[in-house]
Amino acid sequence: MTDIIYLDNAATTALDPRVTKAMVEALHDSPRLGNPSAVNHAPGRRARERIEQARESVASLVRARPEQVIWTSGATEANNLAILGAARFNRSRGRHIVTSRTEHPAVLDACRQLEREGFEISYLRAGASGIVEPEQVVAALRKDTLLVSLMHVNNETGVVQDVGAVGRLCRARGVLLHVDAAQGAGKLPLDMQSDCIDLLALTAHKLHGPQGVGALCVRREPRLGLVPLQFGGGQERGLRSGTLPTHQLIGMGVAYSIAAGEMADDGVRIAQLRNSLWNSLRAIGDIELNGDPERRVPGILSVSIDGVEGESLLAALPDLAVASGSACATANAEPSYVLRALGRSDRLAQSSLRLSLGRFTTGEQVARAAERISVEVRRLRALAAIRDLAAAGS
Amino acid sequence: MSTNQADRDPRYNAQTLRRFRTTPGSTPLPSGMSCVTGRAGDREHGAEVLILLAIADERVAAASFRAFGCPHLIAAASLATEQLVGCSAADLLVWDWHPVAVELEVPAAKSGRLLTLQDAVVDAARNWAGGPRSEV
Repeated sequence: MTDIIYLDNAATTALDPRVTKAMVEALHDSPRLGNPSAVNHAPGRRARERIEQARESVASLVRARPEQVIWTSGATEANNLAILGAARFNRSRGRHIVTSRTEHPAVLDACRQLEREGFEISYLRAGASGIVEPEQVVAALRKDTLLVSLMHVNNETGVVQDVGAVGRLCRARGVLLHVDAAQGAGKLPLDMQSDCIDLLALTAHKLHGPQGVGALCVRREPRLGLVPLQFGGGQERGLRSGTLPTHQLIGMGVAYSIAAGEMADDGVRIAQLRNSLWNSLRAIGDIELNGDPERRVPGILSVSIDGVEGESLLAALPDLAVASGSACATANAEPSYVLRALGRSDRLAQSSLRLSLGRFTTGEQVARAAERISVEVRRLRALAAIRDLAAAGS
Repeated sequence: MSTNQADRDPRYNAQTLRRFRTTPGSTPLPSGMSCVTGRAGDREHGAEVLILLAIADERVAAASFRAFGCPHLIAAASLATEQLVGCSAADLLVWDWHPVAVELEVPAAKSGRLLTLQDAVVDAARNWAGGPRSEV
């Protein structure tokens, strides 16, 4: 029996037991909880009440109002609804959109779809630190720019963008700002009002909530129009038809409520663990940090390890659940586009590891992970010590 | 979490994993023997192999390797070093990677990496036949 150290919290997080408890109670209570749209009877109204409590919790974490929250199946749907919905609604105003090359595929692929529909997209290049400067955004704006889409926290590097500065610049120019906050919400403060964010995509499962549920927060004053992606029962003010999953939304609400109370303490503790991990790893030598060393979310550490091949490093660490920039599955797949956009060579992008910590990561796990990585990096480097031996043998 | 069926990496068979983790054949050659090397590939393309052969009585008396690459390449180099012992230079020139690929269940997409291994073996054969030998 081998214990696996889970350091892939940027992919998904374990449910917080308090979230599990609330969700299980809701499932046990299902005979008393009806369809939240069926407000003509008590079970429906009870479900509706629980969902509205969750909506308040989600809104509160990002300083939005509850009526701004549209439930979705996750951040991918929220990003798609924001980008496609806003662009299609406003297409008579302009057809230009600005985003960056290091966005999540949920944003990039939505933008590519808009290109097929006749929109023009400017893809900004982040600097070597992974940061897109607000001045770059302003320089890319045109008279026909409708929307800027910029992620709060990069999912691979953990780098934090100054979305508030970008938001204020966009607001002053009448351009909409969409922010993918899947990785940042509940980890760092976000304020939809003061950051001038028009569309904010959220998810539950990166924050110790359930998978399969998220939200899009939409500016209400002045009201922002969106074309929905799906049609049916007209739920969520017609923007997202479909029966609402009561127990999942209750879980998301509890997860966001916990994050609101514990974000500051969690952030300090997790940042200390991340720094400890980084200090241990860089002692191995020839290891580079990916992304800005200061402007980063507490829980994500991305490193490129010279002298080892990425797939081998991952295979050598079956006791660690980590992510890699390596193209492991096939020989001809490409390594991480995010790290390559930051100027990393294919070889360094291939040999990158993303170690992401969460609320339940312990100091002992971090120390053990660092030791295991150190042992395997030294072993693989020794196995790959070709040049010296070749010179000696020639 | 505990180890169970789902925890096993389906990309590698048991022998590949064993050879990748323990790398038999990567230990240094016995000292005092005549040695040739063969090298192929480069790190930028994800595969580099060095084959080291100790020669006695015009046969490979011992073989070792170094490799930079994926687990399949490392396991294949490990298996190849065992197959090369007893071979003549002429045998090395016609050494074929396919049986190794079959035994380790190497995906077809990685054939190029095993060709790099074959290139290293052939390079060793050419160095053996034509070049000066060093002593380990």
